[in-house]
Amino acid sequence: MTTALHNSPTVPALGEGARAAPPAGALAWLSGGLTAALGAVGVALGLSVIFGEPRQLRIGWLLPLVGVRLDLDPLGGLFLVATGAVSIAVGIYAVGYAQRERWARFPLAILPLFVAGMLLVPAAGSITTFLVSWELMAAVSLFLVLSEHRREAVRSAGVFYAIMTQLGFASILLALVVLSAAAGGDAFSTISAHVHDLSSGTKTTVFLLTLMGFGSKAGLLPLHAWLPRAHTEAPSPVSALMSAAMVNMGIYGIIRIDLQLLGPGPNWWGLTLMIIGALSAVFGVLQASVATDLKRLLAYSTTENMGLITLSLGAAILLRSSGAPTVAAIALTAALLHLLSHAAFKTLAFLAAGSVLAATGLRDLDKLGGLARRMPVTTVMFGIAALGASGLPLGAGFVSEWLMLQSLIHSPADGNTTLALAMPLSVGAVALTTGLGIAAMVKAFGVGFLARPRSAAAEAAQEAPASMLTGMTLAAAACAVFAVAPALLGPTLRQVLAVLPTVGGHAAGPQLGTFLRLPGVGGSLSPGLLAAALIIAVLLTLGLSRWGARHRPAAAMAPLWASGADTLSSRMQYTATSFAEPLQRVFDNVLRPDIDVEVTHFAESQYLVEKVTFRSRLADPVEQRLYTPVIRAVNAVAEWVRGAHTGSVHLYLAYGATGLLIVLLVTR
Amino acid sequence: MTEATYTGALDLAAGAFLLTAVLIVWRRELSAIVRLLAWQGAALAVLPIIEGIYQREPAPIVVGVVVLLLRAVVLPILLARAVGTEDQERRESTPLVNTTASLLITAGLTVLAYAVTQPIIALDRSPTTRALPAVFAVILIAVFVMVSRRRALSQAVGFLMLDNSITATAFLITAGVPLIVELGASLDVLFAVFVLGLLTSHMRVAFGGTDLDQLRELRD
Repeated sequence: MTTALHNSPTVPALGEGARAAPPAGALAWLSGGLTAALGAVGVALGLSVIFGEPRQLRIGWLLPLVGVRLDLDPLGGLFLVATGAVSIAVGIYAVGYAQRERWARFPLAILPLFVAGMLLVPAAGSITTFLVSWELMAAVSLFLVLSEHRREAVRSAGVFYAIMTQLGFASILLALVVLSAAAGGDAFSTISAHVHDLSSGTKTTVFLLTLMGFGSKAGLLPLHAWLPRAHTEAPSPVSALMSAAMVNMGIYGIIRIDLQLLGPGPNWWGLTLMIIGALSAVFGVLQASVATDLKRLLAYSTTENMGLITLSLGAAILLRSSGAPTVAAIALTAALLHLLSHAAFKTLAFLAAGSVLAATGLRDLDKLGGLARRMPVTTVMFGIAALGASGLPLGAGFVSEWLMLQSLIHSPADGNTTLALAMPLSVGAVALTTGLGIAAMVKAFGVGFLARPRSAAAEAAQEAPASMLTGMTLAAAACAVFAVAPALLGPTLRQVLAVLPTVGGHAAGPQLGTFLRLPGVGGSLSPGLLAAALIIAVLLTLGLSRWGARHRPAAAMAPLWASGADTLSSRMQYTATSFAEPLQRVFDNVLRPDIDVEVTHFAESQYLVEKVTFRSRLADPVEQRLYTPVIRAVNAVAEWVRGAHTGSVHLYLAYGATGLLIVLLVTR
Repeated sequence: MTEATYTGALDLAAGAFLLTAVLIVWRRELSAIVRLLAWQGAALAVLPIIEGIYQREPAPIVVGVVVLLLRAVVLPILLARAVGTEDQERRESTPLVNTTASLLITAGLTVLAYAVTQPIIALDRSPTTRALPAVFAVILIAVFVMVSRRRALSQAVGFLMLDNSITATAFLITAGVPLIVELGASLDVLFAVFVLGLLTSHMRVAFGGTDLDQLRELRD
């Protein structure tokens, strides 16, 4: 089946490519299959832990001194399920994608390793195991980002990613070493038994360092700069894995270390998380709404969603310490549910974007369009993902965002100033984020897929092969579950909440039945009935209009009015840039676009315009303000250090000898 | 072998080991340096052999014979052959530090070695650990030789001295190096010498000499 689709006319140079890499097909099946199988194992293990006994595994000989220690509890199980589910969809998708894009052997071979690393992180039961699997995940993902290393943009993204992920790792390493030294143990269980002995200074140090490390992995402000680069330049299945599964690990780290092990933290921890979350959410969605690169838009949307989750986690801490455990449980449920639904719709979005990229070679929304006719299935898939990302009813993200807002609105009003200030502001941030998110997703879907094609490449697009469609269908099915039947997830989330007592997990959480009921708070909702009502309404309207059409006279055919021009051309449509222009104008101070309008007049008359050139460049303002000075300072120091590198072998040897002597004298 | 003979033989071997190192610092003639290195290898090989005879165990003796073959015979022959191919550069003509200063620095380094090894000796006052400062001084002297010599061959000699002294330290501190570890280390050194020989000839082709300072040109 695949071989037949393989020979699609869009890949004319296939014979040549196949000769260069003969086992690509077999390897693609092997790698994709292995990825999906690992994912399935992850899901099965995760579910068995959530609904059964915690599992433990000790392999003493594998790591020197401490050995490998895997402890699975429902929290780890949840992340195992999320990662595994994403991997299944991506693994199946990758079979077709790798063949169509003629993926090199090396990235194909290490794709399952990446999944394995991501599955090990939430299963780790000790600091050493956690760090090793974290580094496995980070290192393999770096190689995957560099798959197409011949392009300059990919290399630059790789450098950015490598530096930021390793800095994040260093920060986590430092934090966990401090934690392990202070608590006197390597295993998480030992640490949690001794956590009461820790001084608040140690806790604060660990919190701040882990927030930095995990925040950079989750793409939170201001350490998000790698995300729009790496997600954009990596092959799409890898983008999907990174954006839907790997960034979750940042959130997992925050929950596991800061909320579960160190918790309950002081109020300002919650506030810090809320501020960072709100800033990331608003900033991410703003950048997404003005982005014209489809994958860049999705990457910034990841920052937005991770921001929302972090905001919710912070709210849970704050609500818990303000004596509102029930509301805190709602906030926590919202965070976990949003994490899962984000994994579903972001996988789907990146896979659909990859399908577009494979068919047209384009990511620029200003050059796409008209794909609805040419790639109907992909269009529907992206539509489902966009609906989920925009947080509208019947979309995957709706229920969780609704819960999030409910928890923020229903905070206790008993004179707690922090709470009284933080909650309404957060409601504003979430509302703004959701609103702008709709604009961003309408732009991505409307400009990218509807209307007329804006370039020859978009016009020649062909539907993706079956395996890619299968992968997307699986992700779409998951989206549908989140949108219509979140009740299915109720028992799972209840089990996970039970192991998070420090953030209100013991209180009765929201009941995700056919009706979502929030105990202690007067709010309920039934997404399933909502969907049913909508479908009935649509069917009814269709039937009525059919019925009414019989009485109408026959339609008359006439040429389409083209505003006085000869025919409609694709240049008359909205582009992504023009669609986002009003937003860009409103948020001019934040976005600081670099706009260049050049008007050329005819030589004969200055009243007649020959042509107008419009150039708009949107750089990330946080990056420019924060990163440029840092990079400049590092370069200056490097230049200064270079003075010591004269090129003389003797001098280098002397450096070594002096170092040795100093060490000998100091340590004696 | 009585305990007194054992201690005396051990100290003698360690002393010879240190003495050859000092002589290598003193001499400038490359062929003489290589001969001294062979003697140093022999002194090194004697250490496990004495140990083996005293403990009545065959394994250290086997290690000692292997070390003797490699460090006192094979490596010096390889180096001597490399010296033979040199036409004009048979002498370390202009070392970065002159001979008198070199010897003074060597003396200083030896004292330093005695100072820094005191904590290790304090752990276990056996005859073997007592001989440790002498061997440890050779580590420092070897590093000094590498820092102060210009010719690539002298660098190779310095490197081999460093390796000799590390091996000797291992013999003295641990109860005895397992055969397999010693074989691995020896193979390593053999390869290092091959690589150094190769690099030297490449340098001669590229720069017309083996003065390491010419490598400065390679700095971006």
